[in-house]
Order: sequence, then structure tokens, then C-alpha cells
Amino acid sequence: MIEGVKRIDTNEWEVPEGFIPGMRVPGRFFLSESLGESLEPGALQQLANVATMPGIIKNALAMPDIHWGYGFPIGGVAAFSLEDGVISPGGVGFDINCGVRLMTTPLSFADVSGRRDLVDQLFHAVPTGVGAKSSLKLSPRSLDAMMTTGARWAVENGYGVPRDLVRCEESGCMNGADTRHVSAKARQRGIPQGGTLGSGNHFLEVQVVREIFDPVAAEAFGIREGQVCCMIHCGSRGLGHQVCTDHVKLLEAATKKYQIKLPDRQLACAPLTSPEGREYFGAMAAAANYAWANRQMITHTTRQVLSTLFRIDYEDMPLVYDVAHNVAKFEDHVVDGKSMKVCVHRKGATRAFGPGSADIPPELSSIGQPVIIPGSMGTSSYILRGTETAMERTFGSTCHGAGRIMSRSQAKKRMSGKEVTENLLKEGIIVRAPHENAIADEAPGVYKPSDEVVRVVHDVGISRLVARLSPVGVIKG
Amino acid sequence: MSFTELPHTADVKIRACAPTLDALFSDALDALMQVMYGKDRKGRVSKEIDVESSDNEALLADFLSEILFISEVDRLVFSRADIRIAGGKLHAVLEGEPFDPSRHAGGSEVKGISYSGMSVTRDTNGYMLDIIFDV
Repeated sequence: MIEGVKRIDTNEWEVPEGFIPGMRVPGRFFLSESLGESLEPGALQQLANVATMPGIIKNALAMPDIHWGYGFPIGGVAAFSLEDGVISPGGVGFDINCGVRLMTTPLSFADVSGRRDLVDQLFHAVPTGVGAKSSLKLSPRSLDAMMTTGARWAVENGYGVPRDLVRCEESGCMNGADTRHVSAKARQRGIPQGGTLGSGNHFLEVQVVREIFDPVAAEAFGIREGQVCCMIHCGSRGLGHQVCTDHVKLLEAATKKYQIKLPDRQLACAPLTSPEGREYFGAMAAAANYAWANRQMITHTTRQVLSTLFRIDYEDMPLVYDVAHNVAKFEDHVVDGKSMKVCVHRKGATRAFGPGSADIPPELSSIGQPVIIPGSMGTSSYILRGTETAMERTFGSTCHGAGRIMSRSQAKKRMSGKEVTENLLKEGIIVRAPHENAIADEAPGVYKPSDEVVRVVHDVGISRLVARLSPVGVIKG
Repeated sequence: MSFTELPHTADVKIRACAPTLDALFSDALDALMQVMYGKDRKGRVSKEIDVESSDNEALLADFLSEILFISEVDRLVFSRADIRIAGGKLHAVLEGEPFDPSRHAGGSEVKGISYSGMSVTRDTNGYMLDIIFDV
């Protein structure tokens, strides 16, 4: 482990105050010894940087998928006091409300295995990759409605069923969206991209439930062994990227105005009570809602393809859940025995609310919130459930994915996209992407093993394993 | 015109060296476009932009962010730029061509230009830049 870090428990480590000057609280992160071998010093530095921010409560936290990002480390979580705390785009990221959702189907493995036509049709139906355009022509008024009401706008416009909304974090719509603070540039980028997947690590996968760890929770979530599901991973596209860019600039000025000292410019922030802070929150919530509407539209397209190809009912493909993993939100948490509202930043971390939380669907109240952890291409994804331990220790948060261990250029040198595709096909996984580079970039082995990351969060108890899924068809962005 | 890619696990880290700030920014543009669209970029159309910022780092972030915006909304892929920087103001004459999926789809979409890991340093022989593109 990196020098200066203190071991607290088997999978828990502390970055003590004084690790860098100006830390207000210690940093805490969850990692197994083997995952610790690939921990980058830059990621720890970023965790310590977060601990210097005004109004931070208890600890700057990082989940076992911690890696070197910008501003916060990826896997970073921090809660700020509403009185003297701050809000920062560096704690959310460029891809506001990048998130993931899982939808079940009545199909079984045998129905989809080897069905290249399914992968091809999904690939043609959902615009993917760099420069992909939506066939949908959004009007400026529709864009505003999308940013204000999120997935609800999509459902009201025929891209889903009302039941979908119950199964989204925040019911697919964050309150407090203020489109006045979304620039003309952001809107211009948002209009042609509704319903597009994007590129990088974003994907649409056809998966099969391979293993059930918690039968009671799995039944409550509507998941059974051998069942075919679809997982969608994407965010707020150019609109969200522009909101972040615009507000980092605005908040840089605010950082000076409010005399906040920061070790990294990308952590530019403003008091939660300030006009600049409120404006960023309003714009960020609007971009988050755009992302929920976007995932809802992709879900609709996916259902249409499956419905036509397999003659199954649209209504027979319910959503298990939709989680945001790049977001800042006002939530109630117990701090030093007292319940209080705080602003939780999750940058590459997933909300994992436990049983009894008022913010999860009532029918899942005794189980906890479904947590969806996407694997990398060709490796397992996991469904977990939120826990009381997460509420107590991580402001109701857990990991968000596997976390890269190899750069894109190394990945391309190691194996071509063509080789990766052929190898995956040998395992029964059909991959389609607009370009083979996108496949080489995201090949299995460039990420930490997702099994080890979820084992750590399960062992620490900040979420508990429910099911494992593996892909049979992959659409890469 | 030169830049190299440095190891970075999650994103793309670029180092460029140039005798002048103007040339350094031009290299940064070349790196950004190569990451997004590959090497096959031609100069068929031109476009001029102006950016003004408080310091060199902010000027670079604002310039490249403007490029990301124009490239996406105008669907343009830039091949080179003639850049003049003076007194915190940048004027660029950009050359490029319309996005062509058959030649430009092999890159990675850059989500934003981050200040984390960004540095513009100088010695007697010129400038050096480190920058991370969020992909």
C-alpha cells in the first residue's frame, strides 16, 4: 500500500489528515489488498484534495473501483453541509448522470444465443459512437421539458410505461432543475443527441442471469436464473459535458470571490447557499434529467426491437432499476446521531439506499434499493442491494463499476479490435461497434476484475450481492 | 508539431513541446483531433475563432472546449490551426473538413478538458504542455 496510508480493517484504509496540507477530515477508502496493487498515487492525492473542501462531513470517501480521474477520484463520494459546504462540478464529472439501467425480458438464454440478427438490429436501431446522430428532431420546447421532467417526459411522449418511472432513482426526474442556467451551447448540443448511446465505455448489452446469490431479493427485483436482460449504460451526452464546462468556468470565478483555497482547479466550487452554487445545481439537475430521458428512449428502442423479433409484449420487459453514478444530490443522512440534509457528490459511485428508505420503491422497502454494477465488455455485471451499513458508513453509496487498469493506447497495442471480437465470439459473445478501435479500447483485461470489486463492497457490507449476469450480445458506443 | 501520449489508465494524457505558445496550442488542437477522429484529417474549409481568458491554462481549456463545441455542432474535423496569442487573447484560423464516418469514426469522444493534470511550463528554449482529455 502507498506510504502514509493507514489500515483500518481488512478492506478499509485511511488517508490521515496531514497527508496533504489543508485536509479538514481524513480520507477513507475500501479496497482489498490485491486491488491495492493497482492503486495509483494520483487517485489517493485526489481523495486527499477532496478532504480539503469547505464543509465536508466525516470523510472524503472512495469505493473499491477508485482510480485516477479529474477533480474527485473516480469512485469518490463526499457529503457537504448545507450551511457551510460547497458544490463542485469536479465532484460530478463531465458526463452528468452517467448511469446504468437493467430491464428484464421473458426470454431465456436459448432464445438469444447466437442470434446475430438481434445484435445487428439493436446496433442499427440505437445511434452509437462518435458523431452519431439521433433520427429524432427535438424542438427547443421538448428539450426544455426533457430537462425539467426527465424520464417522465419520455414516458408521456410514448417512450415507456408509467411503471418505468417508479423503478428509477429519483423516479427519473430530479427536483430543482433550472433550465435558465443551461447555456445556448449546451442546448445546441442536446437537441440532436436525444436517444443516442455515445462512445467510450457506454454500451447496450443483452445479458443472461447466470447466478443468484440472494433468492428473496432476486424475486423481489423480478430476476430469475437463465433469464435474458438488457443493460444500458450512458449519460447526458454533449449537453451534460457543456453544462460541466460552462459551470467550471463560472465556479472558478466564484472560488476566488468566496476566497476558497483549493489544491486543484478542477475542484472549482461555490457555497451551496450562493447564487453560483444554486445555478450549477439547477443546470446539473437539468442535465441529469436529460440523461434519464435519454436512457428511457434507448430502453424504448430496445423494447421495440425485442418485441418485433421475438413477438413479446412491450409490457413484459419491466425495468429492474435505473441508477445515476455521476451526480450531486440533497439527501437525508444521519450524522453524529442526528438526521440532517446534506449534499452528497457521487463521482463514479452508486447510490445504495438500504431497507426502509423513503426514497426507494415501496415494494422493495424490505429489501433495499437495486444497485447495478456494469462489468467490462465480456465480463460479468452484478446486481446488488443497498444496505443499512451503506447508510451508516458511506452516505448510502457503493462502487459503480470495475475501474480501468490499462490505458487505451496500451489496450490497442496489446490486441486489435478484430482479435478481441473473435475471442469473445468463441465465448458466445457477439460484439458490434461503429469501429474496431472502440472494441480494443474496452477489451476484457483493461478493467479491474469486477468480481473482486463487488466482493469487497459485499464483504464490507455497503451493498450485498443479489445476482450475476454475463453478456451474450454487446453494442459498444 | 509534436505530441506524445503518456500513460493514463482512465483518460488520455498528452505531452507537447513547442518553441512558442502559439505552436503549443496548435499541437494541443492536433492531439485533441487525433484522439477524437484519427490521423486522416484534411483542410477543406476554414473557420476563425476568438477566445479570451485569465491565464494560459484557462485560455487552453477554453480554446479546446470551444473546439469540442464547434466540432460537435458543426460536425467539423480540424486538421490544423494558425494561432496567435497575445495579452490573454487567442485568435485561431482553423482548417478542417466535414465529419466523414468512413474515415473519422475510429476515435474516442472527448467529454471535456480538465484542469486536473494540466500544466503549461516554459524554459529558455520553449514551452511544454501536459493535458488530460476526459474520454
